[in-house]
Amino acid sequence: MAFRVLIVDDSPVMRAFIRRIIALSGMEDADFLEASDGREALTLLREQWVDVVLTDINMPSMDGEELVRCLCADDVLKSVPVVIVSTDGTETRMQQMLSLGARGYVKKPFMPETLREELERVLGGAYARSRMG
Amino acid sequence: MPDREWDEMLAAATSEVLETMFFTGVDGPARAGGSAGVPRLAARLGFEGTPSGVLTLSVSEPVMRALAANFLAAEEGETLSAGQLGSVVCELANMICGSLLSRVKTEEHFRLSSPELVPEGAPGPAEPPSQSLVVSDGVGEGVVDLWLALECRAN
Repeated sequence: MAFRVLIVDDSPVMRAFIRRIIALSGMEDADFLEASDGREALTLLREQWVDVVLTDINMPSMDGEELVRCLCADDVLKSVPVVIVSTDGTETRMQQMLSLGARGYVKKPFMPETLREELERVLGGAYARSRMG
Repeated sequence: MPDREWDEMLAAATSEVLETMFFTGVDGPARAGGSAGVPRLAARLGFEGTPSGVLTLSVSEPVMRALAANFLAAEEGETLSAGQLGSVVCELANMICGSLLSRVKTEEHFRLSSPELVPEGAPGPAEPPSQSLVVSDGVGEGVVDLWLALECRAN
């Protein structure tokens, strides 16, 4: 069973890059959904289950911080793990996002293995089960 | 912080982004204007914090095409659209700016604006670039010019 990733970023080229990196990281069986901002992501998440959300912070309409707040306040969606993928690599920002409820943080630029390791850590059992089919 | 330190951090940030996300090496500093007359793609973004400022990046179009092809893993012979090139140059500026600011020792976090393309023919910064770096390694050879303008605020 493949696991499903929602990539939230206003840059289509960054979404394509993340998709490729995940596939190249040995997670070639992953399914992807994409959203260009937090609002679009919330709409998708209310219709379809995903195993993990990878989101940028700086986006128009609804940014990643607001998305994390909304997910954590939702009885159903709060169990979906969120990993921040952002150019904002300051310690203050990372701590702020983790304390809001994000489960992981990957600072851009990142090595492919960094993203894979963070996904494996956050997905834990779900990822292991997907590998066993 | 002295300008020299900012320039060094800018060069380090640019190298990190190009090597990590664009799989491209940086050979070191170049002389500005080395590719005069070649069409260029430029993007800029502002940031707010202590200090605030604006980062502008300009790359010759042939080099930007090669960088974008690396970033997007384009097939050989595949032609990238102007929209894709524009998005990649904006993302390049965004990541360099983020990497630069993460090197600033501060408790505060910076707010970055969305990067925007600088229209072709629009007047660029009047000053010489803060950094001009030669990139090579499978993208041919070209120069990435960067301007970092910091606001000095009275406390």
